[in-house]
Amino acid sequence: MRMTNNGIGLASRAIGVALSLMLAVSACGGAGEDEGSGGGKAGAPGNTAGFDGKTIKLGVLTPLSGTVAVIGQPLTAGNEVWFDAVNAKGGIGGKYKVELVQEDTQYKTDLAVQKYNKIKGDVVAFTQILGTPPTLAVLPQLRTDKILAAPASLDALWVREDNLLPVGGPYQIQAINAMDYYLTDGGGSKDDVICTMIQDDVYGEAGQQGIDFAAEKYGFKVANTQKFKVGTENYAGQIGALAGAKCKMVFLVATPSDAAKIWGTAAQARFAPQWIGQSPTYTGALAQSAVAPYMEKSVWIMADGTEWGDDSVPGMKTMADDMAKYAPDQKPDFYFAFGYNQGRAMTAVLEKAVENGDLSREGILKASTEIGTVSFGGLTGDYQYGPAAERNPPRSTSVFAVDPAKPVGLKKLKYLIESDAAKEFEFKKADL
Amino acid sequence: MSTFLTNVFAGLALGSTYALVAMGFVVIYKSTGVINFAQGGLLALGAYLGYFFANNLALAFGVAILLACAAAAVVGASVERMILRRMVGQPPFAVIMITIGLLFVLEPLITAIWGFDNLPIDNPWNIRTVEVGGLVLGVRDLWTIGITAAVVVGFFLFFRYTSFGLAMRATAFDPEAALAQGISARRVYAVSWAIAAALATLAGITLAAGPAGLSPSISFIALAAFPAMILGGMDSAAGAVLGGLIIGLAEALTRGYQDELFSWAGSNVSVIVPYVLMILILLIRPYGLLGTKDVRRI
Amino acid sequence: MATTKPHRNLVRTYAQDLRLFGTPTKRAGLAAMLIVLLVLPTIVQDDFWLSVLIYSGVTAIGAIGLNLLTGYCGQISLGHAFFIGAGAYCAALVGGDLNLPLPLWLLASAAVGAVLGGLIGPFALRLRGHYLAIVTLGLIFIGEHLWRNLTWLTGGNNGTSVLAQPTIGPVDLGALELAGENYSRNQGYFWLVWALVAILALLTKNIARTRPGRALCAVRDHDQAAEVIGVRAGRYKIGAFMVSSAIASMAGALFGSYQQHVSPDDWTLLLSIQYIAIIIVGGLGTIFGSILGAIFVGALPALIDEYSSAIPGVATEAGGDGFISVFALNQAIFGLLIVLFLVFEPRGLAGIWFRVKAYFKAWPFSY
Repeated sequence: MRMTNNGIGLASRAIGVALSLMLAVSACGGAGEDEGSGGGKAGAPGNTAGFDGKTIKLGVLTPLSGTVAVIGQPLTAGNEVWFDAVNAKGGIGGKYKVELVQEDTQYKTDLAVQKYNKIKGDVVAFTQILGTPPTLAVLPQLRTDKILAAPASLDALWVREDNLLPVGGPYQIQAINAMDYYLTDGGGSKDDVICTMIQDDVYGEAGQQGIDFAAEKYGFKVANTQKFKVGTENYAGQIGALAGAKCKMVFLVATPSDAAKIWGTAAQARFAPQWIGQSPTYTGALAQSAVAPYMEKSVWIMADGTEWGDDSVPGMKTMADDMAKYAPDQKPDFYFAFGYNQGRAMTAVLEKAVENGDLSREGILKASTEIGTVSFGGLTGDYQYGPAAERNPPRSTSVFAVDPAKPVGLKKLKYLIESDAAKEFEFKKADL
Repeated sequence: MSTFLTNVFAGLALGSTYALVAMGFVVIYKSTGVINFAQGGLLALGAYLGYFFANNLALAFGVAILLACAAAAVVGASVERMILRRMVGQPPFAVIMITIGLLFVLEPLITAIWGFDNLPIDNPWNIRTVEVGGLVLGVRDLWTIGITAAVVVGFFLFFRYTSFGLAMRATAFDPEAALAQGISARRVYAVSWAIAAALATLAGITLAAGPAGLSPSISFIALAAFPAMILGGMDSAAGAVLGGLIIGLAEALTRGYQDELFSWAGSNVSVIVPYVLMILILLIRPYGLLGTKDVRRI
Repeated sequence: MATTKPHRNLVRTYAQDLRLFGTPTKRAGLAAMLIVLLVLPTIVQDDFWLSVLIYSGVTAIGAIGLNLLTGYCGQISLGHAFFIGAGAYCAALVGGDLNLPLPLWLLASAAVGAVLGGLIGPFALRLRGHYLAIVTLGLIFIGEHLWRNLTWLTGGNNGTSVLAQPTIGPVDLGALELAGENYSRNQGYFWLVWALVAILALLTKNIARTRPGRALCAVRDHDQAAEVIGVRAGRYKIGAFMVSSAIASMAGALFGSYQQHVSPDDWTLLLSIQYIAIIIVGGLGTIFGSILGAIFVGALPALIDEYSSAIPGVATEAGGDGFISVFALNQAIFGLLIVLFLVFEPRGLAGIWFRVKAYFKAWPFSY
């Protein structure tokens, strides 16, 4: 009995000690409000988190291991090559070199938040956050920390977010332009049996939204929609349903390994509608696979920019040269181009911030509203930046056919279509 | 009718793949009492070894399959020898966790060697088809079904008529009594890992020979085969095959009739049908369709 | 000769043996832990390590729940991620949409978890061992289907914001102000999460060391034998499921509230496997082991990350030179450490702890 009393006494004394200790250290213990002040107006930007007067550091949160690394690797290589080229020309404002701080998220939200916290104090902004779930998980903190980040996905959700710096035409735009092309130059009619096949996630829903919008504008009906889960092994059911519905055109939102299985199953079932695929549906490896002959006949791909190695587009030539110079082992890849474009948008922001003489977090956010329209040298449509509420993403998309002889296996059918319907699509601020 | 038959055929092909993976689970479970979570990793490794033999060494596809199976079997047996052998007699939980750890090791190693890109494996099947009585059948699917059938027959003959098969059955039944009869439990354990790895390789290569080719995510199929193993009964190879076919058929048929029959239950019901089916069957037969009910004494 | 005091480790009654903090060392340990809990965030102000420790704390809570079910009652569940997800969505609804304070959304999540656990529990009456494990695995996939389709609650594929605020009355742990000093959100969450870890550890320890705990162990060791000696095995199995999933749901609620956004991709089989890993690495059937395991599995990758780039021949950036990228290597090292660790100590971290304790208890005659 005595012992027990003693125990409680000791425990409460211990808590007392702990409390007083805590109060003692609390004088220096708070981490609530320490915010580096940016720097002077005009003139050289003052030192701040991620900028030591010489080097500007940018964060990259991307899956570099795990199954999504197949996208994260080339995208990050695109970031690297862009900034290598910038540094070779002297850097931002002609004098500040850029350095990337890369962290692996494995495409997991909790890891993304941890890694964000790990490097947020060392970088001025994030030039890449890959994936919708990781971006959404980090977004609340971006807002409180007042940090700018460039998401590496084409979600429409990003357009109206102050803390995000998207590039490229969102998926909805791709889908609308796809229908525009199909109904005009593509030789289709609005009375055709038009179907969709979409991945059951955010990315798939974005494509479906675009098609539904187009359906209203062009007066066609979506006759059949098939959904599938990422990584499904067998698509006989979906293909059977689409064939049963006698679809003449199918809009496909998928990722390459699923797309290969889907087209493989369709080829085996001798079902050959006109397929139109959203850009991430495709990867160069598909043009070398057994499905290539079928794809040549029946598949178009919607994507930004032009075909690889098309020197008539100035941006493509520069990118190809930069890639040959700074990453000779890199294979041509549209994710690479995306990362490269992200670099260009972020550079525009940094240039502006340096011009303003303020590389602090607020300074960069402010700069991101002041850069106006950024041109991507024809690699993707011009993006009109500004305050998030007034941003206008590119409304253009190119159409490609599959041609294994070309570098990435894509041959352009029509360069940067900008349909009226796509121009009318409104981006609303989502409740995130 | 032809839609129905197409779906049945697709279900059988898918079910055969599940069956191959599930048999791998069963072989290890039966002899060592452990669920091998690394089966998916072995599957991916075997498939990539197949890629190495078929593409890099440009061997005939059949030869590449056999070599890949042999190489994977060696890997399986050495993993058993080096790591799991030390765990004999330790709590089964620790052993299960070790197999999970192995999975964590195998995946990055595979991507370090072969990268993340989709690799097309050189093979004669791909998306070729044959027409049988008005029905278009995929050559790869036919081979998958054929290989599985051959493996099942081989299994039966091996366990029924060879002395080592008998030794394995004896060890599974009662390890100590088997030891007393002079059967080497060590060899039995090593061989079961080798067999499981070879089975996983067969499943992996038949999957990778399809249009999607080879990517690290191929290992996920092992998780999808869990219901097949449980449904049939964890210690029954025949049960694994039966379970695999049932799950495969159920999945393909629900998918085929999603629009007509299952639209009320949300999209992609077919993904959860295997699990629902598994739960229902286990409620009626708690040890699976063909599993042995363990006799419990107090 | 004067009466000699009995040795501090002498135990005379069963009640004495059951005391939670019976020996001076244990009390000192408790005090030390409390001090660490209170002081750590003021010393480690780094947001990275705080967030790593916050996630570790959240997983520690979930792991305590799972260990009660698996370690004490012997029911293997791979469905833990389902209950964690349910808790997060419940927090989003009660704490976010209805805007109720912390104690309410936490308890509401626990209640939802308990109800769901009560629905799943009966399966344990019919199924045993691995069969139960795989059936609960089905929960994950059925759950994922629900999360993707119940858009009004979960936001569908997009996920949903969790605006459940860490407020108790006037105190907002998200922006704590004490004695004129401001504390960051991460510091506040650290205290919240680890205080809850302590409370739940104490509660479960109390379950484990008293009558229900002994009943659970009897059920684990042999459920039929337990019935014979008068333990209602079925009732305890279902009860263990309810308590365990209630705790898991609380962990989910905290996860959601800290991360502020959750989506169906968060509650996959990998999460369940991670929990199994934690309790096995930590040590089955020990509360302390669950906490150690959660820190180990949560913080080890971060530690590996700190040092692995120093290994020669490793590429430190995407597409860099080297045999293996540092990111893949981190994963492989993590797996390898788990394997090696369990080969040498199958009873987990708690096993090491017991060995150390036994060594000092018998010191200087420990051999």
